[in-house]
Amino acid sequence: MSAHSSRSAGAGRRAAIAVVLVVLLSPFLWLLQMSFKSNDLILQFPPPLIFTPTLENYTSLWHGAFSASFINSLLSASFSTGFALLFGIPAAYALSRWTGSGRQALGFAILVTRMAPPIAFTIPFFLFYRWIGLLDTITGLVLVYTSFNLPLVIWMMQPFFETVPRSLEEAALVDGAGIRTVFVEIVLPMVTPGIAATAILCFLYAWNDFFFALILTRTNARTAPVAVVNFMNYEGWEWGKIAAGGSLVMAPVLIFSLAVRRYLVSGLTAGAVKG
Amino acid sequence: MTATNLIDAERRSFNRWALAPSLVILFVIAALPALYLLAASLTPFQLVNPGSSTDFSEPLRNYRLLPGDPRFINSLIVQAKLSFWGVLFQVLLGMLLALLLHTRSRFVALARTFFLIPMVLPPIVVGVIWKLIYTPDISPIYYVAGLLHVTMPSLTSSVNFALTAIIIADTWEWLPFTFLMVLAALQTIPEEYSEAALMDGAGRVQIFFHITLPFIAPILTVSAMFRLIDSVKAFPLIFLLTGGGPGSVTEVTNYYAYLLAFDFNEIGYSSAITIVMLMLVVVMSLGIMWMGRNREALT
Repeated sequence: MSAHSSRSAGAGRRAAIAVVLVVLLSPFLWLLQMSFKSNDLILQFPPPLIFTPTLENYTSLWHGAFSASFINSLLSASFSTGFALLFGIPAAYALSRWTGSGRQALGFAILVTRMAPPIAFTIPFFLFYRWIGLLDTITGLVLVYTSFNLPLVIWMMQPFFETVPRSLEEAALVDGAGIRTVFVEIVLPMVTPGIAATAILCFLYAWNDFFFALILTRTNARTAPVAVVNFMNYEGWEWGKIAAGGSLVMAPVLIFSLAVRRYLVSGLTAGAVKG
Repeated sequence: MTATNLIDAERRSFNRWALAPSLVILFVIAALPALYLLAASLTPFQLVNPGSSTDFSEPLRNYRLLPGDPRFINSLIVQAKLSFWGVLFQVLLGMLLALLLHTRSRFVALARTFFLIPMVLPPIVVGVIWKLIYTPDISPIYYVAGLLHVTMPSLTSSVNFALTAIIIADTWEWLPFTFLMVLAALQTIPEEYSEAALMDGAGRVQIFFHITLPFIAPILTVSAMFRLIDSVKAFPLIFLLTGGGPGSVTEVTNYYAYLLAFDFNEIGYSSAITIVMLMLVVVMSLGIMWMGRNREALT
């Protein structure tokens, strides 16, 4: 064996990777194929390798109450992402130019808000919402998701701002430009890829949430993940529709997360390690 | 006042304006709920009994009840089992997968992306996927078992297998995380090391134990810690697959606290349990920060 071959993929290794990939993804593929089958076909074993896919699960799901939940999810995830970016980006910039102490403490606070079990926040939030009448509203959800995405924005945007050369800013400042102008017209355009990645991660966190939505919503503001579960519990075992619901909930996630896979690790670990 | 001073002053005021809203929000979402939770944990607060939320006559009652509550003790044991086996499998299998995929090739680079799918799926969809796999009528596993004349018990409602079923689903979901972390670490190992070792006649196994493993050991520890903290949050899988049952075989502490607060209306007692969990998480997070800083000091 030459020294080089340990790093290049041989045919054996490729085959092994392909087999492992198929085995690992088979539960996911099982859900996907089931969403295109009629209920009779789902119960048929051995499963036919070739069948005529049907969209009836999707269409009947969409004409029911599910579409409203899907829109609720879309609204709460989008608005909370927007607000989190609005507050978080200037804060991240200020912190990246911060020379004093307190950064460590803030980093720790951010880590804890990400790591703490959601129930620690749901009990106070639930009681507070019940008191001021925000239970089962989109506003309530947007508020929760914004506050949990804010630490993520602050954490993820700092390294991007650090890559902007300070000499650029200083030159503009000496020329008499205000710091707000420098921030908006010079710094921000240089970190747009970072903003895009951060925005997608925020959207995914809000979209994927189940626990907050389960407790803070009932019917009006019910999100898509909760709707899928309700469907499972109350409307009988219509497996095709359940599979279609699951597929619809995961569709945006798959598309977006593959786009930002480079940043997934640092987002997931809240930056405590360099991904 | 010189121009630089003016700029500095302007920057300071800008910083204040930029940071203030975020600090206020962080305080409101992190500090206030924690304080409220702490206060609630000192009362016998029940939703059906409004006056109880401000009854501080016997503040440590809930904490005194904890050690004698068999369901709480059981939930800690279930949590320990779930965390131990889940983290162990995730780290081991994640590492093996990373070793397998640590090569230079376009095909492999593309494959890596697909290996990440389970981790990015909404947790509730992971629950649905495994529900389909664990439901006898529609599951390919039960069909194959039938062909082989093996009678499989219903995994999620069997006292002996329910927790295992959760551990399998959890491992499937989070394997990509350790995989990704270990792969990143593997890519930082200078190639000369293993090349030199190969020249000296070292075998693959020797290279793994003497070069690779020491190199990735810190990242294995950090990933294990992250997964450990996250495993305390286990909820959607349990909610969807077993509901904590059968009995309380899969009822982890988080789930018990949820049932107490939102099914049994025992807000005060649930808050006390949550405070205990929160303290565990803070200690573990400090551990991670400490390890992270040590690692930075080394490199």
